[in-house]
Amino acid sequence: MSRPVRYVVFCLGVVGLAILLAPAVAHLPAFGSTFHPYRTLAVAAAVAHRTANVVSAINFDQRGLDTFGEESIFLASVAGAALLLRPGEHETERRPLGHARMLDATRLLGYVLLPLSTILGLDLISHGNVTPGGGFQGGVVLGTGLHLLYVAGSYDALEKMRPTTLFEWGEAIGAGSYGALGVAGLLASGAFLANFVPLGHFGALFSGGTVPLLNIAVGIEVASGGAILLSHFLRQAMFTEPAGGGRRASGERDE
Amino acid sequence: MAHFDHGAAALLPLAVAVPMLGASVMLALGRHVSRLVRDLFAIAIAAGVTGLSGYFLAVASSGRIVNWVATWTPLGHRSVGIVLEVDPMGAGIALLAAGLVTCALIFSLRYLESDTGHFHLLVLCFLAGMEGFALTGDLFDLFVFLELMGASAYALTAHNIEDPQALQGGLNFGIINSLGAYVSLMGIGLLYAKTGVLQLPLLGAKLAGHRPGPLVIAAFVLIFTGLLVKSGVVPFHFWLADAHAVAPAPVCMLFSAVMDPLGVYAAFRVYWTVFSPTIAPAHARVAFLSLGVATAVIGAVMCCAQRHIKRLLAYSTIAHVGLFFCALGLLREDGTAAAALYAAGHAGIKGALFLLCGMLLDRYGNVDELHLFGKGRGSPHLGLLFGLCGFALAGLPPFGLALGKALAEKAAIDQHLYWMVALFVLVSALTGGAVLRVTARVFLGLGDRPKGDAEYRAVGTERPPAQRLQALPAAALSAIGVLIAGTLALGVLPGARDAAERAAAAFIDRSGYLANALGHAGHQLAIAPSAPNWDLRGVLLGIASALLAAGFAAASCYGRRILVHVPALRLGTRAVLRALHRVHSGHIGDYVAWLMAGCAILAGLIGLPLR
Repeated sequence: MSRPVRYVVFCLGVVGLAILLAPAVAHLPAFGSTFHPYRTLAVAAAVAHRTANVVSAINFDQRGLDTFGEESIFLASVAGAALLLRPGEHETERRPLGHARMLDATRLLGYVLLPLSTILGLDLISHGNVTPGGGFQGGVVLGTGLHLLYVAGSYDALEKMRPTTLFEWGEAIGAGSYGALGVAGLLASGAFLANFVPLGHFGALFSGGTVPLLNIAVGIEVASGGAILLSHFLRQAMFTEPAGGGRRASGERDE
Repeated sequence: MAHFDHGAAALLPLAVAVPMLGASVMLALGRHVSRLVRDLFAIAIAAGVTGLSGYFLAVASSGRIVNWVATWTPLGHRSVGIVLEVDPMGAGIALLAAGLVTCALIFSLRYLESDTGHFHLLVLCFLAGMEGFALTGDLFDLFVFLELMGASAYALTAHNIEDPQALQGGLNFGIINSLGAYVSLMGIGLLYAKTGVLQLPLLGAKLAGHRPGPLVIAAFVLIFTGLLVKSGVVPFHFWLADAHAVAPAPVCMLFSAVMDPLGVYAAFRVYWTVFSPTIAPAHARVAFLSLGVATAVIGAVMCCAQRHIKRLLAYSTIAHVGLFFCALGLLREDGTAAAALYAAGHAGIKGALFLLCGMLLDRYGNVDELHLFGKGRGSPHLGLLFGLCGFALAGLPPFGLALGKALAEKAAIDQHLYWMVALFVLVSALTGGAVLRVTARVFLGLGDRPKGDAEYRAVGTERPPAQRLQALPAAALSAIGVLIAGTLALGVLPGARDAAERAAAAFIDRSGYLANALGHAGHQLAIAPSAPNWDLRGVLLGIASALLAAGFAAASCYGRRILVHVPALRLGTRAVLRALHRVHSGHIGDYVAWLMAGCAILAGLIGLPLR
């Protein structure tokens, strides 16, 4: 379709959607009202399972199957990216020799922030059941924080700290542990993902039964998977060239 | 339908967990073991899930299986948890998905080169997504598994990274499906804000008895948009042909045979359980039938206008999705039963056709109908199977697909919708005829040798001669044989129709669905007296469709000789096809524009009559 036709079709659609949505939004419960049927139930259920962070209780205990699906989406996405970014037949990898010079201030900041971000990531994962945070959040901090090594100037250092095979194992073990904890619940108390571990004391580091364990599983998976995902993107962006040199061929059409 | 089998209920989540555990093992060990070990491991997992789903179907046929995951059973009418609720329809489509994944993996034994196990991993993730999607009784959970299916499917589509068209097809698929899913999520948010629940049976209970206000109508339109995108309903269908044209054949088979029908299944599952008590069938019917007719007609016309065989089959799937939509859109038990049989039969035949396409590609390095003209003479077995599938697709008895079609026509006649009978006959004859045309040209070299432009090649399908197969691999042939035999069995096994009717009765029984979810017994469903599968009218209509299909095929092989003498007809056809091709541009911006317009059209179809 020509550009004007496309715009007309799109605009008609948007106008129709606006006419549909405006009265619908007007019929939503008023902001700040006391009508919160799900909150009332979810907070009580979280407290009953001694999980201080109610969001974690919802994600990993009450609706743990959704989170199982979500961490599966993460696994599939990382594997999909690996499949699509694998070196093609007409691509070669070329490593530039020598190091780019970085400002000393940048390198200093990188080396100072690396341990801090690692500790922050571990803290977010391990306290996911008591304070805001959790496996997903902490995993992202860990997986991306590692790349401060690259920012600080050395891709080689990053590669030494991030052996891909080990991280693939980490991702597999993290993802597998979630399913395995679910099956363990089935074996221990007859229901998949049942909270079968002793609940502990409200607010303690190990409280909430399976919630901290599932948080750790997701944390390992997301940290490892995130690092692998970034490694594929970095390799594609920095080193991959079509055979024979020249510009990269990705995205070019042969029509 | 009320006694619960706790054993089966406890095992329900394993249909998702087993393939995901398999995927984790594949990730850890995939690159350290041989190709054969990866193949056998993945096949074993898929076969295990098939067995599990078969067990669910056996149990569900005597009562729904209900599992409040992690024992968050409801207090009164509320629960914080997720419910998996399985009736024969849900278990049936879960069984279909797992069985087809097994077939696809067996076919792939020789088909795809892969050295890391990522292909197998993604297929297992895709299976987990489909199982969860079929078994869940929770609206948000449905969305999660929709996304899991999507995330795995996008990458599988673009598997052949050497081909820019494959990347483009995967990208179009990813963008449009993600956009649809986000629109759905907005609808889920609206319903949640109004009711505070997410479980399908409880949502239905909350909405029951209320007039459908603007919020409910908007939620309906938004939620359906994502599901209609997945189904490939016009005008949300554009991504489908792009993706099917480039994905590896076994992946195409999974898309056409079960992923697209799963979208239809979820749309009507959500309609019956959530919206039917507020947007009454009498109102919703017009919208569903309009969408179905538009999809069937445009799919059938576009199907006949293709020369890229995989693209042709993709449009034929769109046409059939339109027919399923029409049968289900009658919003009655008989139409629902017919659609279930029709979709199951279609899965076998369309799956077999895509696998045959894969073998064609393996042998001749191309799937362009004109390029292959007469070249298939050396493969009589492939030709025979191709022709057989063409007739089956057109509705030739006694295949299961024809049984579904005959029952759908009967349901339409009972409602005095005679135009719908004509639609079923015509659309199945056109799509079957297109496959027969391919058979006649490629395998028999019949008709005028088409003057294809030599420059054209069915892009993304070239395969260098060194990689072409000389002999047909036995594993691949056996997968095709199983699919065709399964469809045949569906049509001839006594009791297929009764089983489908009982499944349909449970599918549309909202109060029973709710009662069972809450742990109560549902009321006894009236069991219709058992009827034979076939009646004379259905058989005759099936034979008529098949003959008509053969006629269409002959006309398109020799048609130019006639068309030359009728300029008006020739110019008219050319103008219509040119306009349709212009709309199906491959431009992602066009697809997004149509998605928005489709949303507005659906809103008009549902909202305006209710004002």
